[in-house]
Amino acid sequence: MTAMTPRRLLLALALFEGLAATVYGQTAKVPVQSFELANGMTFLAVQRPELTTVTAGWVAHVGSSNERPGITGISHFFEHMMFKGTKKIGTTNSRRDLEIIDEQETIQTQIRAIYEQQRERFRLGEIEDPYAPDARPPELVTLQTRFDALVAEQRALMVKDEFDKIYTSEGASGMNAFTSQDVTVYFITVPANKLELWFWMESDRLLHPVFREFYSERDVVHEERRLRTESTPTGKFEELFDAMFWQSHPYTWPVVGWPSDLQVLSLAQARTYFDTYYAPNNVTAALVGNFELDAVKELAERYFGRLERRPEPPDVVTLEMEQTAEKEMRASCDCQPQVELRYHTVPFRHRDSYALDVLAGLLNGQSGRLYTSLVLDQGIASDAGAFQDSKKWAGAFSLQAEAKGDSTPERLQQALVAELVKLRDEPIPTRELQKVKNQITASAYQRLASGFYLLLQLLVYDGLGDWQYINEWADRTLAVTVEDVKRVAAEYFDLDRRAVAFYQRNVASAEVQP
Amino acid sequence: MSRCATLLLALTVTSPLYAQVIRVAEPDTIPDRPETIAFGPLDFSVPDGDAYRHQLSNGVVVYVAEDHTLPLVSLTATLKIGSYLESDEHVGLAGFTGSLIRSGGTERLAPRDFDEQVEFLAASLSSSGGDTTASAGVRSITPVFEESLALFFDMLRHPRFDPERLEVEKGNTLEAMRQRNDDADAILGREWSWLLYGNDYYGSRRMRKQNLDAITRQDLQAFHARYWRPENMIVSVSGDVDTPTILATLERGLADWPGDGDSNRWPPPESMHVVVPGVYHVEKDIPQGKVLIGHLVPQWTDWSNPDRAALQVMNHILGGSGFTSRIMKRVRSDEGLAYSAGSSFSFDPFQPGTFTVSFQSKNETVALAAKISLEEVRRIQEELVSDEELEIAKGSLIQTFPQRFDSAGQIASTFAYDAFIGRSHEYWQLWRPQVEAVTADDVRRVAQQHLKPDEVVLLLVGKWDEIAKGDSDGRATMADFFGGAVTHLPPRDPLTLEPHAGS
Repeated sequence: MTAMTPRRLLLALALFEGLAATVYGQTAKVPVQSFELANGMTFLAVQRPELTTVTAGWVAHVGSSNERPGITGISHFFEHMMFKGTKKIGTTNSRRDLEIIDEQETIQTQIRAIYEQQRERFRLGEIEDPYAPDARPPELVTLQTRFDALVAEQRALMVKDEFDKIYTSEGASGMNAFTSQDVTVYFITVPANKLELWFWMESDRLLHPVFREFYSERDVVHEERRLRTESTPTGKFEELFDAMFWQSHPYTWPVVGWPSDLQVLSLAQARTYFDTYYAPNNVTAALVGNFELDAVKELAERYFGRLERRPEPPDVVTLEMEQTAEKEMRASCDCQPQVELRYHTVPFRHRDSYALDVLAGLLNGQSGRLYTSLVLDQGIASDAGAFQDSKKWAGAFSLQAEAKGDSTPERLQQALVAELVKLRDEPIPTRELQKVKNQITASAYQRLASGFYLLLQLLVYDGLGDWQYINEWADRTLAVTVEDVKRVAAEYFDLDRRAVAFYQRNVASAEVQP
Repeated sequence: MSRCATLLLALTVTSPLYAQVIRVAEPDTIPDRPETIAFGPLDFSVPDGDAYRHQLSNGVVVYVAEDHTLPLVSLTATLKIGSYLESDEHVGLAGFTGSLIRSGGTERLAPRDFDEQVEFLAASLSSSGGDTTASAGVRSITPVFEESLALFFDMLRHPRFDPERLEVEKGNTLEAMRQRNDDADAILGREWSWLLYGNDYYGSRRMRKQNLDAITRQDLQAFHARYWRPENMIVSVSGDVDTPTILATLERGLADWPGDGDSNRWPPPESMHVVVPGVYHVEKDIPQGKVLIGHLVPQWTDWSNPDRAALQVMNHILGGSGFTSRIMKRVRSDEGLAYSAGSSFSFDPFQPGTFTVSFQSKNETVALAAKISLEEVRRIQEELVSDEELEIAKGSLIQTFPQRFDSAGQIASTFAYDAFIGRSHEYWQLWRPQVEAVTADDVRRVAQQHLKPDEVVLLLVGKWDEIAKGDSDGRATMADFFGGAVTHLPPRDPLTLEPHAGS
């Protein structure tokens, strides 16, 4: 085998070229079985009898794009609250627990009224930060003390993190959730013999959630923001760039929310949010693993059938304004000099999204155009890449490169644009397009290998608009022609639709460079 | 809530008709509590590692686990070599050789042609070099696996180490080195490994610019020729393969490559570093302090020792199991001081392992979170854990165990790792009974034996003036640790790793 001749290799490649799209007569498909309850909740099931587990989850069709100024970050914060228990899970005295929560809220309402005065003092320049601990007026300290006493009383009745504890003791693992601009996804893996536990726990938190520890959890979210946004080299600037790129659309604010909004979110707002968006008709569940479909149907009806259909949540109506001028951001950070070019393109399942995926495929990879040109031929970058980010309501195409040696972000920008122009104006070799399509054929299989990853794809695609995308994507992408690629290259990559982020190493750090 | 949404809430919705009619449930068939649900048994038995084990005529051990669910094949060659084999002037050579095997082309194919052929096959080929292990792998869909494997063998045995590609890689590595102080976590990891293992130990030393400049193509060729050899290699294969067929293919591909001698000085040398407990700090202008607290624990080679199970149960209760663990409960859930907080206890077969508490908190509350974490470490040494905690930890460890064998890839790599560290496959048969046998007394005993809360290294990256004075309610300050003594570690030049002049 090691003595394989080039001739043998060429033969194999030629064979593959002819077979690429039809290795098995068709592209990979996931055998998803779906059903819907009378209350509108959809279930997707993929049986994997070889496993000893079931990985299960659900998506609420809501994310930060459903928010508005004043409550930014509520989707993500709310995701945290869904782990705080239910009427039955998390307390030894449900009646008193609920009373305490009401009493706490009364105090917090008074605190928010004081914060209104604090913001007034802040506007007048009397204090530097309306929420700083050392700027607290005495009445706020008094209220805080009363609130802390209620927390202590509630804690004495609580069974801490019982939701997690029950799952953990039964051998469930990987419990987590994430929130994006468009979706909120919850997931866990349970031993196959404990499938009913998942139905019990998940339906209970949709039926009878109790938002305990609302205000200490808010501090955790502040820490999460510090962790992801404020303590990373480029986090703050990525947030700024997003805010700059999206003008009118709700994608303009960060998923984690503005800190000043987080500071005044109320329990009442959380309850309204839950009632609006966590209706069964706005939720889809998925299960991948070792189970009988009839059992899943029976359990779904028995447990989730108890949920009542609610009015359809409001649509996101704000469309992104047509961009009329090029935008530029210049940031200094503890980072390698780099550039990002971002163009307004198209959302999830738009008919041009497939050609844009192929276009990104031509640019990416070790043999792709960006690496070959910027890293190998010109030696101006240490890395470069591109991707089409198809969100639910709108999309963007990004190109990024990190500078090497004496190169500058401006030089990288020119080189990236030159590659886009080449795609638009020059012929695309057949073999190069075929390479990208071979990768699509293969990845259509590879992405089914992990049950957990398969579950996430089903839930996210469903949240973005249609889970069937998982079975349509490969065929629609394989149908893309050279002409399609050249057409989208001409249509979407012009200066007026573009924002550019230039990152320079900041002066303080530059000084410590040799 | 927006006005728009409030108005919508008042609307009624007509139910559409569904093709599939599902019967209405009886509400009283829902158990009152999840604990009262009756579960059937789980159908699982621990697979026998020996059943997957094979040996080629040149001595290479191969583990093959078939899975024909999808047309995908994966093969990994793991080698018992690494940076422990480098000389002092060649720091970084093992890693560089590892990455250049993949990126530097083959004697037959220039790097660009090799990359293009790999990507045209939509295969994934990789190679890398670490401290005590190097590996190379190939993944592809079944119809082109034979062609992909031919490229893999070509890469593994006849790498070109193309001079131009070497220069590209050196330039990229230099850029990566420039970023060494950009992210607080990178500083934290570097200083932590130096404090625990010393900065000249193979597992913790870092490549400096002078090492990078000194690396030549001949060095790579020599390291490859000397160490990337069959006698150091274990192969694992999983997926859509037929065992006799893949073994015959491997035999053909490797038969003319005899494995002889012991070229690799296995096992790697131990660290001689003497750890000095105390508070250490690196200044970084970030709003959140990054913290590691811990110490070395003994190297682990006796895999039949049941204390391994007791230590795992102990760490699960203390800080290893997310929300259910004590440190997470107090630091995050009760106090809201951190997004993530927990502990780990590592069983390292080649060097002392580490017990580590880690979290990140706004600078002002770093001391408070550290104080709470150490209180919990002391408490698990002093008090017996509750029966409930013990049962949850054991239940979790035992019931999540089958997942370790839930795919062909995991089966092959798990047993190949046994062979790599010289552990009997019997280990997995003993695993659950040993966990089942752990008592509260065992947990306290191993905590007393292995945890040393008074002899920790407490490393902080963040703003010292804010960290030192502690929280606004006066619950903790850094004066609470080691009598307030602190060693301020100097900022380091990212390329030479020497302290900056004047610091």
